[in-house]
Amino acid sequence: MKPLENRWYPYALLAPAFLVLVVVSLVPFLFAMFLSFHQINFGRIGDFAGWANYSKLMQDERTWNSLWVAAKFILIAFPLQFILGLGGALLLNKRVWGRSVILPLLFIPTMMAPIVVGLLWKVMFAGSWGLLSYNIVERFGFLQGSSVFSSPDYALIALALVDVWQWTPFMMLAFFAGLQALPVSPYRAAAVDGATPLQMFIRLTLPLMAPLMVVIGMLRFIDAFKVFDTIYTLTAGGPGTSTEVPSLLAYRMSFEQWRIGESAAFAVLVWIGFFILCSLFYHVAKKKLNAF
Amino acid sequence: MTTHKTRSKSTLAGLVATAAALCYGTPLQAQEWTYTEAAKPYVGTTIRVLDEITPLQETMRKLVPEFTEMTGIEVEYELLSHGDVINRGQADLFSGRGYYDAVMLHGLQMGPLLSAEVLQPIDDMLHNTALSNPNLGLDDLIEPANDSLVNYAGSQYGFLTWNYNQIYWARADLINNADEQAAFEARYGYPLAPAETMQQMRDIAEFFTRKSGETLAGETLENDFYGIVLEGIPGGTTFTTVWEVFMNNWGGGVFDAAGKPNLDSPENIAALQFWADLWKFAPPGQAEYSLIDVPTVMGNGIAAQSIAFSDFVLGVDRPGGGSYAGKFVYRGIPVNSNSPESRSAGGEPSLMALSKHSKNQEATYLFMQWMVDKDTQAKLMEMGGGGVPIRRSSFDLEAMQEAGRQSLYKAMIQSLKYVQAKPKTPGFYEIDNAMSPLVQQVGIGSMTAEEALKEGQRKVLSICNDCLLTD
Repeated sequence: MKPLENRWYPYALLAPAFLVLVVVSLVPFLFAMFLSFHQINFGRIGDFAGWANYSKLMQDERTWNSLWVAAKFILIAFPLQFILGLGGALLLNKRVWGRSVILPLLFIPTMMAPIVVGLLWKVMFAGSWGLLSYNIVERFGFLQGSSVFSSPDYALIALALVDVWQWTPFMMLAFFAGLQALPVSPYRAAAVDGATPLQMFIRLTLPLMAPLMVVIGMLRFIDAFKVFDTIYTLTAGGPGTSTEVPSLLAYRMSFEQWRIGESAAFAVLVWIGFFILCSLFYHVAKKKLNAF
Repeated sequence: MTTHKTRSKSTLAGLVATAAALCYGTPLQAQEWTYTEAAKPYVGTTIRVLDEITPLQETMRKLVPEFTEMTGIEVEYELLSHGDVINRGQADLFSGRGYYDAVMLHGLQMGPLLSAEVLQPIDDMLHNTALSNPNLGLDDLIEPANDSLVNYAGSQYGFLTWNYNQIYWARADLINNADEQAAFEARYGYPLAPAETMQQMRDIAEFFTRKSGETLAGETLENDFYGIVLEGIPGGTTFTTVWEVFMNNWGGGVFDAAGKPNLDSPENIAALQFWADLWKFAPPGQAEYSLIDVPTVMGNGIAAQSIAFSDFVLGVDRPGGGSYAGKFVYRGIPVNSNSPESRSAGGEPSLMALSKHSKNQEATYLFMQWMVDKDTQAKLMEMGGGGVPIRRSSFDLEAMQEAGRQSLYKAMIQSLKYVQAKPKTPGFYEIDNAMSPLVQQVGIGSMTAEEALKEGQRKVLSICNDCLLTD
């Protein structure tokens, strides 16, 4: 039989983190769930509303539009970030010239506050006076009479590229750290067996990096879904609603229109959606990629 | 005898008092009332007041210590940006927390806040002779902005404190250029002058839209030049400008007389189409421009005309305000020559309202009253070197006689004749949120005016059927 202190000691160590998690995550989530089932009139909690907030939310075409916009945003930004991040990390791992200078520079976009990133790209792409939009897009006759962020066809692509600019270095650094930690012996053995660099990449690097890639990929995926600041600064969800993502819509519902019940229902639905998606992702990664 | 003498003396005193009162045009009591006396029961009280940060309020902040010195009431006068003052002020009022005793409210906020019953009517205090300044002269406040803003269901909910209004803004150096004048008259058949009508504004926009390499006022353009710039971002005041400056001037509007949505009326369709047609003469990035970007673009000299909020103009057209400062001319909002009887102007009259949950209502009322006092307003204009008046008499002040500003002040007077507060509708934010992306899409050519307004009508009907608060 274990001594008493041995039984409670692990729980005692976990308790502070668990307590913080409960206070900052679970309690607000449960409260949001509570709000989502109530009538809320300008911030004051009224009667139990059943599924009314959920039903109203589901019938609002802006909800579905925002989810579709987020999906398109992720589909453009995430693969680019992943591929460029991994490619860049592989290059850095080859001891390229100037690596010690490049590595600290890579931190800059990631460390910038998203609102600053938004303002920076506004200066680049603002219609009729932006550095890039005026000198490249408009001067050479592209987008006549419009601008990048005014165009329903290009605004979302431009926003996704801003996200790629900001977050690819993060992916690169994370993958680079993973590559640096890989064991050397399997590569030596493969070299002795006459494996080509491509074979080594497919048979060794990818499987060994899989757990890290899954975790980083999942985090970035979730983070890309939550994008808010850059869109708020650059297009405010426009033109029309072509760049209105769920975070922006929920912000408007809560803080501009005071539809607290519906926005709480939206938050709950998004949470459930991500819970299901992440669980599936976890199981697939575990079974197929041996990632966990 | 003694009685007679006493009676004679008192009659004489009465006559003197009456004569004095008649001479000064106010009752004797009015002359005795002071903020210091009225504030005696509240000395040492601290009140919290939330206001918006613009150069106007920053000037007011400098005056606030005078109120404290006079009354002994401490004022924590907090200034926040436009979005924050709405969010934080409303959150405090809706929650019933009562952190702020008084909050600055834009007219558009009145519907939701009155509907939530979180504002304190000030009628009792207005009629309390101990509290109410008999010389306040509320009849001097600019109408119809004041009446349409502060009154609802027979009660008054604060004082008009800020009188944001939109005006027509144009480049005087271009309009007064002899070559441009001749070319304009030859093309349109009437003299070039600041637009008095919407149709003239459109002609001027078309006339001055030029490509780089063309000539403008004798100079070869290095960059494209645009005939007009307007706000186009979804949100902000894009939709309310379309509503007040265009739809109303075409005889339309968001609601009919009964308060029911009326968006897809022929008048509104024509007005929205007119507004969207102006986009052909506007900078390519107009869909990104907020109410703050518009004055910046005008200040940078890449557009000939605009419709903008006059308080932003004050920040651009001033010494040191840029290379185009002093080269502008202003007018009231142009009239639609096809329906002059529907004349309207855009604006956002705003008030200082008392929180129902304030624990210092009387002390706060004194401060609110002091803000709109004739003396305070005179000092505000003097210290700010002019401004946007809430009182008609402020336009006569010396501070408002600066020669370079006369065009702007006259434009304000012209606009303010027609500026009204937004109708009090609890669903205002939802309506604005539904409509602003739609009108923007008409501007960029993704939808026709008819399609957008039919869609808008459907959406607004899903928000409310009887949209206005009723008494």
